[in-house]
Amino acid sequence: MGREVSESCIDSLLTEMVSSYCNRFYSNTPELAARRIEAIGYQVGHQLSERYTMERPRFTEHLEAIKFICKDFWSELFKKQIDNLKTNHRGTFVLQDNKFRWLSRMSGDPSVENGTQDPESKAAQAMSMYLYFPCGIIRGALSNLGIPCAVSADISSLPAYAVSYCTALLLCVHLKMLYLLIMKLVALNPLVHLPSLFCLQLLLSVEIPYNNRWVHVLLKPFVLDLAL
Amino acid sequence: MIVCVAVVGHQNNPLYIQSFTEADDALKLHHIVHCSLDVVDERVNNPKKSGLTLNETFLGLLYPTENYKVYGYLTNTKVKFILVTTDLDVRDADVRNFFRRFHAAYVDAVSNPFHVPGKKITSRTLAERVSNIVKSFGLSSAG
Repeated sequence: MGREVSESCIDSLLTEMVSSYCNRFYSNTPELAARRIEAIGYQVGHQLSERYTMERPRFTEHLEAIKFICKDFWSELFKKQIDNLKTNHRGTFVLQDNKFRWLSRMSGDPSVENGTQDPESKAAQAMSMYLYFPCGIIRGALSNLGIPCAVSADISSLPAYAVSYCTALLLCVHLKMLYLLIMKLVALNPLVHLPSLFCLQLLLSVEIPYNNRWVHVLLKPFVLDLAL
Repeated sequence: MIVCVAVVGHQNNPLYIQSFTEADDALKLHHIVHCSLDVVDERVNNPKKSGLTLNETFLGLLYPTENYKVYGYLTNTKVKFILVTTDLDVRDADVRNFFRRFHAAYVDAVSNPFHVPGKKITSRTLAERVSNIVKSFGLSSAG
Protein backbone atom coordinates (compact mmCIF):
# COMPACT_ATOMS: atom_id res chain seq x y z
CA MET A 1 0.00 0.00 0.00
CA GLY A 2 2.56 2.54 1.07
CA ARG A 3 5.71 3.51 -0.69
CA GLU A 4 8.85 1.78 0.45
CA VAL A 5 12.51 2.63 0.73
CA SER A 6 15.40 0.25 0.97
CA GLU A 7 16.55 -0.72 4.41
CA SER A 8 20.11 0.36 3.84
CA CYS A 9 18.82 3.91 3.33
CA ILE A 10 17.32 3.88 6.79
CA ASP A 11 20.51 2.46 8.22
CA SER A 12 22.70 5.10 6.67
CA LEU A 13 20.24 7.86 7.52
CA LEU A 14 20.34 6.84 11.16
CA THR A 15 24.13 6.67 11.25
CA GLU A 16 24.46 9.96 9.45
CA MET A 17 21.94 11.67 11.74
CA VAL A 18 23.74 10.50 14.85
CA SER A 19 27.13 11.48 13.53
CA SER A 20 25.90 14.91 12.38
CA TYR A 21 24.37 15.73 15.74
CA CYS A 22 27.21 14.28 17.78
CA ASN A 23 30.17 15.48 15.76
CA ARG A 24 28.97 18.58 14.02
CA PHE A 25 25.99 20.40 15.56
CA TYR A 26 26.52 19.57 19.21
CA SER A 27 30.03 18.22 19.31
CA ASN A 28 30.70 19.75 22.75
CA THR A 29 27.47 18.77 24.42
CA PRO A 30 26.57 15.12 23.83
CA GLU A 31 23.54 15.33 26.18
CA LEU A 32 22.05 18.03 24.00
CA ALA A 33 22.68 15.97 20.87
CA ALA A 34 20.96 13.00 22.50
CA ARG A 35 17.97 15.17 23.42
CA ARG A 36 17.69 16.51 19.88
CA ILE A 37 17.82 13.04 18.33
CA GLU A 38 15.25 11.82 20.81
CA ALA A 39 12.99 14.74 19.91
CA ILE A 40 13.17 13.85 16.24
CA GLY A 41 12.22 10.29 17.12
CA TYR A 42 9.35 11.59 19.23
CA GLN A 43 7.77 13.40 16.32
CA VAL A 44 8.24 10.42 14.02
CA GLY A 45 6.66 8.09 16.55
CA HIS A 46 3.83 10.53 17.12
CA GLN A 47 2.96 10.56 13.44
CA LEU A 48 3.52 6.86 12.84
CA SER A 49 1.24 5.84 15.69
CA GLU A 50 -1.49 7.99 14.19
CA ARG A 51 -1.19 6.06 10.96
CA TYR A 52 -0.74 2.55 12.31
CA THR A 53 -3.69 2.70 14.70
CA MET A 54 -6.05 3.89 12.00
CA GLU A 55 -8.04 0.70 11.41
CA ARG A 56 -8.06 -0.53 14.98
CA PRO A 57 -10.64 -0.44 17.75
CA ARG A 58 -9.69 1.85 20.59
CA PHE A 59 -7.47 0.54 23.36
CA THR A 60 -9.14 0.22 26.72
CA GLU A 61 -6.08 -0.14 28.91
CA HIS A 62 -2.37 0.50 28.87
CA LEU A 63 -1.45 -3.13 28.42
CA GLU A 64 -3.34 -3.24 25.15
CA ALA A 65 -1.45 -0.25 23.84
CA ILE A 66 1.84 -1.80 24.95
CA LYS A 67 0.92 -5.01 23.17
CA PHE A 68 0.18 -3.01 20.08
CA ILE A 69 3.66 -1.47 20.32
CA CYS A 70 5.23 -4.90 20.79
CA LYS A 71 3.46 -6.59 17.93
CA ASP A 72 2.13 -4.38 15.18
CA PHE A 73 4.15 -1.24 15.67
CA TRP A 74 7.39 -3.15 16.13
CA SER A 75 6.82 -5.26 13.03
CA GLU A 76 6.01 -2.17 10.99
CA LEU A 77 9.24 -0.54 12.12
CA PHE A 78 11.64 -3.43 12.51
CA LYS A 79 9.92 -6.22 10.52
CA LYS A 80 9.74 -8.45 13.55
CA GLN A 81 7.93 -8.65 16.84
CA ILE A 82 9.31 -8.15 20.31
CA ASP A 83 10.85 -11.34 21.67
CA ASN A 84 9.97 -10.85 25.28
CA LEU A 85 7.72 -8.51 27.24
CA LYS A 86 8.04 -8.26 31.00
CA THR A 87 6.16 -6.04 33.40
CA ASN A 88 6.01 -5.48 37.15
CA HIS A 89 2.30 -4.54 36.83
CA ARG A 90 3.09 -1.15 38.32
CA GLY A 91 3.72 0.64 35.11
CA THR A 92 7.16 -0.57 34.13
CA PHE A 93 7.46 -2.57 30.96
CA VAL A 94 10.59 -4.22 29.66
CA LEU A 95 10.64 -4.97 25.98
CA GLN A 96 13.37 -7.26 24.82
CA ASP A 97 14.44 -7.63 21.23
CA ASN A 98 17.03 -10.30 20.63
CA LYS A 99 17.99 -9.10 17.21
CA PHE A 100 17.42 -5.39 17.03
CA ARG A 101 17.31 -4.57 13.37
CA TRP A 102 18.91 -1.14 13.46
CA LEU A 103 21.94 -2.36 15.37
CA SER A 104 22.36 -5.67 13.64
CA ARG A 105 24.84 -4.33 11.13
CA MET A 106 26.92 -2.33 13.54
CA SER A 107 30.10 -3.36 15.24
CA GLY A 108 32.32 -1.80 17.86
CA ASP A 109 35.35 0.09 16.68
CA PRO A 110 38.40 -1.59 18.19
CA SER A 111 40.70 1.24 17.12
CA VAL A 112 39.26 3.69 19.66
CA GLU A 113 39.94 1.39 22.54
CA ASN A 114 41.96 2.74 25.41
CA GLY A 115 43.15 0.48 28.14
CA THR A 116 41.38 2.34 30.95
CA GLN A 117 37.82 1.33 30.25
CA ASP A 118 36.04 -1.93 29.93
CA PRO A 119 35.60 -2.44 26.15
CA GLU A 120 32.14 -3.87 26.67
CA SER A 121 30.84 -0.71 28.31
CA LYS A 122 32.71 1.34 25.77
CA ALA A 123 30.95 -0.33 22.87
CA ALA A 124 27.63 -0.09 24.70
CA GLN A 125 28.24 3.61 25.18
CA ALA A 126 28.94 4.10 21.49
CA MET A 127 25.78 2.16 20.60
CA SER A 128 23.61 4.07 23.03
CA MET A 129 23.76 7.17 20.84
CA TYR A 130 22.03 5.18 18.11
CA LEU A 131 19.28 4.11 20.46
CA TYR A 132 17.97 7.57 21.29
CA PHE A 133 16.11 7.73 18.00
CA PRO A 134 14.16 4.45 18.40
CA CYS A 135 13.55 5.38 22.05
CA GLY A 136 12.05 8.65 20.91
CA ILE A 137 9.86 6.84 18.42
CA ILE A 138 8.45 4.56 21.10
CA ARG A 139 7.91 7.46 23.49
CA GLY A 140 6.16 9.49 20.79
CA ALA A 141 3.89 6.61 19.87
CA LEU A 142 2.96 5.86 23.47
CA SER A 143 2.30 9.44 24.42
CA ASN A 144 0.12 9.89 21.36
CA LEU A 145 -1.85 6.87 22.53
CA GLY A 146 -2.41 8.64 25.85
CA ILE A 147 0.42 7.10 27.87
CA PRO A 148 2.94 9.72 28.93
CA CYS A 149 6.12 7.81 29.65
CA ALA A 150 9.88 7.72 29.69
CA VAL A 151 11.69 5.26 27.47
CA SER A 152 15.26 4.20 27.88
CA ALA A 153 17.32 1.57 26.15
CA ASP A 154 19.75 -0.81 27.74
CA ILE A 155 22.19 -2.93 25.81
CA SER A 156 24.04 -4.35 28.76
CA SER A 157 22.72 -7.83 28.24
CA LEU A 158 24.93 -8.81 25.37
CA PRO A 159 23.35 -12.07 24.20
CA ALA A 160 20.21 -10.08 23.57
CA TYR A 161 21.84 -8.40 20.62
CA ALA A 162 22.69 -9.26 17.12
CA VAL A 163 25.16 -11.94 16.25
CA SER A 164 27.44 -9.58 14.40
CA TYR A 165 27.45 -7.27 17.39
CA CYS A 166 28.40 -10.09 19.72
CA THR A 167 31.31 -11.17 17.59
CA ALA A 168 32.52 -7.61 17.40
CA LEU A 169 32.48 -7.32 21.14
CA LEU A 170 34.17 -10.63 21.50
CA LEU A 171 36.82 -9.25 19.25
CA CYS A 172 37.22 -6.25 21.50
CA VAL A 173 37.53 -8.36 24.59
CA HIS A 174 40.10 -10.61 23.03
CA LEU A 175 42.11 -7.72 21.74
CA LYS A 176 42.10 -6.10 25.10
CA MET A 177 43.31 -9.21 26.83
CA LEU A 178 46.01 -9.48 24.26
CA TYR A 179 46.92 -5.86 24.73
CA LEU A 180 47.16 -6.20 28.47
CA LEU A 181 49.27 -9.28 28.12
CA ILE A 182 51.64 -7.51 25.79
CA MET A 183 51.82 -4.44 28.00
CA LYS A 184 52.60 -6.57 31.00
CA LEU A 185 55.39 -8.29 29.15
CA VAL A 186 56.68 -5.06 27.71
CA ALA A 187 56.97 -3.74 31.23
CA LEU A 188 59.24 -6.64 32.00
CA ASN A 189 61.32 -6.42 28.89
CA PRO A 190 60.61 -3.44 26.63
CA LEU A 191 62.93 -4.07 23.77
CA VAL A 192 62.08 -7.61 22.82
CA HIS A 193 58.46 -6.95 22.17
CA LEU A 194 58.61 -3.93 19.97
CA PRO A 195 57.77 -5.89 16.80
CA SER A 196 54.83 -7.49 18.55
CA LEU A 197 53.61 -4.11 19.66
CA PHE A 198 53.85 -2.91 16.13
CA CYS A 199 51.78 -5.88 14.97
CA LEU A 200 49.20 -5.14 17.62
CA GLN A 201 49.04 -1.52 16.58
CA LEU A 202 48.36 -2.68 13.06
CA LEU A 203 45.73 -5.09 14.26
CA LEU A 204 44.02 -2.40 16.29
CA SER A 205 44.05 0.36 13.78
CA VAL A 206 43.20 -1.31 10.49
CA GLU A 207 40.58 -3.62 11.97
CA ILE A 208 41.76 -6.89 10.51
CA PRO A 209 39.08 -9.49 11.14
CA TYR A 210 39.86 -11.50 14.18
CA ASN A 211 41.07 -15.02 13.61
CA ASN A 212 43.00 -17.46 15.67
CA ARG A 213 46.02 -17.62 13.46
CA TRP A 214 46.95 -14.03 14.03
CA VAL A 215 46.73 -14.32 17.73
CA HIS A 216 48.88 -17.39 17.66
CA VAL A 217 51.48 -15.55 15.70
CA LEU A 218 51.44 -12.76 18.23
CA LEU A 219 51.32 -14.96 21.26
CA LYS A 220 54.08 -17.29 20.31
CA PRO A 221 56.99 -15.06 21.36
CA PHE A 222 55.35 -14.42 24.72
CA VAL A 223 54.89 -18.04 25.39
CA LEU A 224 58.55 -18.53 24.68
CA ASP A 225 59.38 -15.58 26.89
CA LEU A 226 57.29 -16.82 29.74
CA ALA A 227 59.00 -20.14 29.53
CA LEU A 228 62.33 -18.39 29.84
CA MET B 1 -26.12 17.49 2.93
CA ILE B 2 -23.10 17.80 5.19
CA VAL B 3 -22.99 21.27 6.67
CA CYS B 4 -19.94 21.01 8.90
CA VAL B 5 -17.01 18.76 9.66
CA ALA B 6 -14.46 19.16 12.43
CA VAL B 7 -11.36 17.57 13.88
CA VAL B 8 -10.80 18.12 17.58
CA GLY B 9 -7.58 17.21 19.39
CA HIS B 10 -7.23 15.17 22.54
CA GLN B 11 -7.38 18.23 24.78
CA ASN B 12 -10.55 19.36 23.02
CA ASN B 13 -8.57 21.86 21.01
CA PRO B 14 -9.94 22.47 17.53
CA LEU B 15 -7.55 21.24 14.85
CA TYR B 16 -9.66 21.70 11.79
CA ILE B 17 -13.20 22.97 11.33
CA GLN B 18 -14.92 23.62 8.08
CA SER B 19 -18.52 24.47 7.31
CA PHE B 20 -20.13 23.95 3.94
CA THR B 21 -23.06 26.33 3.98
CA GLU B 22 -23.78 29.47 2.04
CA ALA B 23 -25.41 31.21 4.94
CA ASP B 24 -23.45 32.94 7.68
CA ASP B 25 -24.07 30.37 10.38
CA ALA B 26 -20.53 29.24 11.11
CA LEU B 27 -20.85 30.29 14.73
CA LYS B 28 -23.96 28.20 15.23
CA LEU B 29 -22.28 25.16 13.69
CA HIS B 30 -19.21 25.66 15.83
CA HIS B 31 -21.47 25.73 18.83
CA ILE B 32 -23.06 22.43 17.79
CA VAL B 33 -19.63 20.86 17.37
CA HIS B 34 -18.59 22.23 20.75
CA CYS B 35 -21.66 20.71 22.43
CA SER B 36 -21.05 17.38 20.80
CA LEU B 37 -17.70 17.06 22.59
CA ASP B 38 -19.50 16.56 25.89
CA VAL B 39 -21.54 13.77 24.36
CA VAL B 40 -18.36 12.11 23.08
CA ASP B 41 -16.85 12.28 26.56
CA GLU B 42 -19.97 10.80 28.05
CA ARG B 43 -20.04 7.95 25.60
CA VAL B 44 -16.42 7.10 26.15
CA ASN B 45 -16.60 7.24 29.93
CA ASN B 46 -19.81 5.21 30.23
CA PRO B 47 -19.55 2.69 27.43
CA LYS B 48 -22.10 0.36 29.02
CA LYS B 49 -24.87 2.88 29.31
CA SER B 50 -24.64 3.96 25.72
CA GLY B 51 -24.32 0.37 24.50
CA LEU B 52 -21.17 1.06 22.61
CA THR B 53 -19.84 -2.14 21.10
CA LEU B 54 -16.25 -3.10 21.69
CA ASN B 55 -14.58 0.30 21.69
CA GLU B 56 -15.27 0.95 18.12
CA THR B 57 -13.84 4.15 16.73
CA PHE B 58 -17.18 5.05 15.21
CA LEU B 59 -19.42 6.47 17.92
CA GLY B 60 -22.63 6.67 15.94
CA LEU B 61 -25.27 9.34 16.17
CA LEU B 62 -24.28 11.62 19.03
CA TYR B 63 -27.46 13.62 19.23
CA PRO B 64 -30.12 14.99 16.91
CA THR B 65 -31.10 18.65 16.99
CA GLU B 66 -34.09 20.19 15.26
CA ASN B 67 -32.34 20.62 11.96
CA TYR B 68 -29.16 18.60 12.23
CA LYS B 69 -27.81 15.21 13.04
CA VAL B 70 -24.39 15.00 14.67
CA TYR B 71 -22.14 11.99 14.28
CA GLY B 72 -18.89 11.29 16.07
CA TYR B 73 -15.74 9.27 15.61
CA LEU B 74 -12.92 8.86 18.14
CA THR B 75 -9.49 7.56 17.21
CA ASN B 76 -7.01 5.67 19.30
CA THR B 77 -5.06 8.85 19.72
CA LYS B 78 -8.08 10.60 21.26
CA VAL B 79 -8.70 12.77 18.24
CA LYS B 80 -12.38 13.38 17.61
CA PHE B 81 -14.03 13.74 14.26
CA ILE B 82 -17.42 15.39 14.16
CA LEU B 83 -19.88 15.43 11.31
CA VAL B 84 -22.96 17.65 11.18
CA THR B 85 -25.51 16.87 8.50
CA THR B 86 -28.99 18.03 7.55
CA ASP B 87 -29.97 14.71 5.97
CA LEU B 88 -32.70 12.99 7.90
CA ASP B 89 -32.21 9.44 6.73
CA VAL B 90 -28.52 8.71 6.68
CA ARG B 91 -27.22 5.19 6.31
CA ASP B 92 -24.73 4.13 8.97
CA ALA B 93 -22.44 2.57 6.38
CA ASP B 94 -22.18 5.87 4.54
CA VAL B 95 -21.16 7.71 7.67
CA ARG B 96 -18.62 5.04 8.58
CA ASN B 97 -17.17 5.25 5.11
CA PHE B 98 -17.04 9.02 5.34
CA PHE B 99 -15.19 8.93 8.65
CA ARG B 100 -12.74 6.35 7.38
CA ARG B 101 -11.78 8.50 4.44
CA PHE B 102 -11.76 11.64 6.56
CA HIS B 103 -9.46 9.94 9.04
CA ALA B 104 -7.11 8.84 6.25
CA ALA B 105 -6.98 12.41 4.94
CA TYR B 106 -6.26 13.71 8.43
CA VAL B 107 -3.45 11.18 8.98
CA ASP B 108 -1.85 12.17 5.71
CA ALA B 109 -2.06 15.82 6.71
CA VAL B 110 -0.46 15.38 10.14
CA SER B 111 2.27 13.16 8.70
CA ASN B 112 3.67 16.26 7.09
CA PRO B 113 6.97 16.83 8.88
CA PHE B 114 6.31 20.58 8.96
CA HIS B 115 3.06 20.15 10.82
CA VAL B 116 3.38 20.88 14.53
CA PRO B 117 1.31 18.39 16.55
CA GLY B 118 -1.54 20.07 18.40
CA LYS B 119 -1.61 23.11 16.15
CA LYS B 120 -4.38 23.92 13.70
CA ILE B 121 -4.08 22.17 10.36
CA THR B 122 -3.76 24.71 7.57
CA SER B 123 -3.00 22.26 4.78
CA ARG B 124 -4.70 23.20 1.52
CA THR B 125 -4.49 19.61 0.34
CA LEU B 126 -6.50 18.50 3.33
CA ALA B 127 -9.17 21.15 2.65
CA GLU B 128 -9.40 19.97 -0.93
CA ARG B 129 -9.60 16.32 -0.04
CA VAL B 130 -12.20 16.93 2.63
CA SER B 131 -14.40 18.92 0.30
CA ASN B 132 -14.14 16.07 -2.22
CA ILE B 133 -15.13 13.54 0.41
CA VAL B 134 -18.01 15.75 1.49
CA LYS B 135 -19.20 16.06 -2.10
CA SER B 136 -19.05 12.32 -2.71
CA PHE B 137 -20.90 11.69 0.55
CA GLY B 138 -23.87 13.56 -0.84
CA LEU B 139 -23.74 11.49 -4.03
CA SER B 140 -23.49 8.06 -2.43
CA SER B 141 -26.33 8.72 0.00
CA ALA B 142 -28.53 9.98 -2.80
CA GLY B 143 -27.79 7.03 -5.02
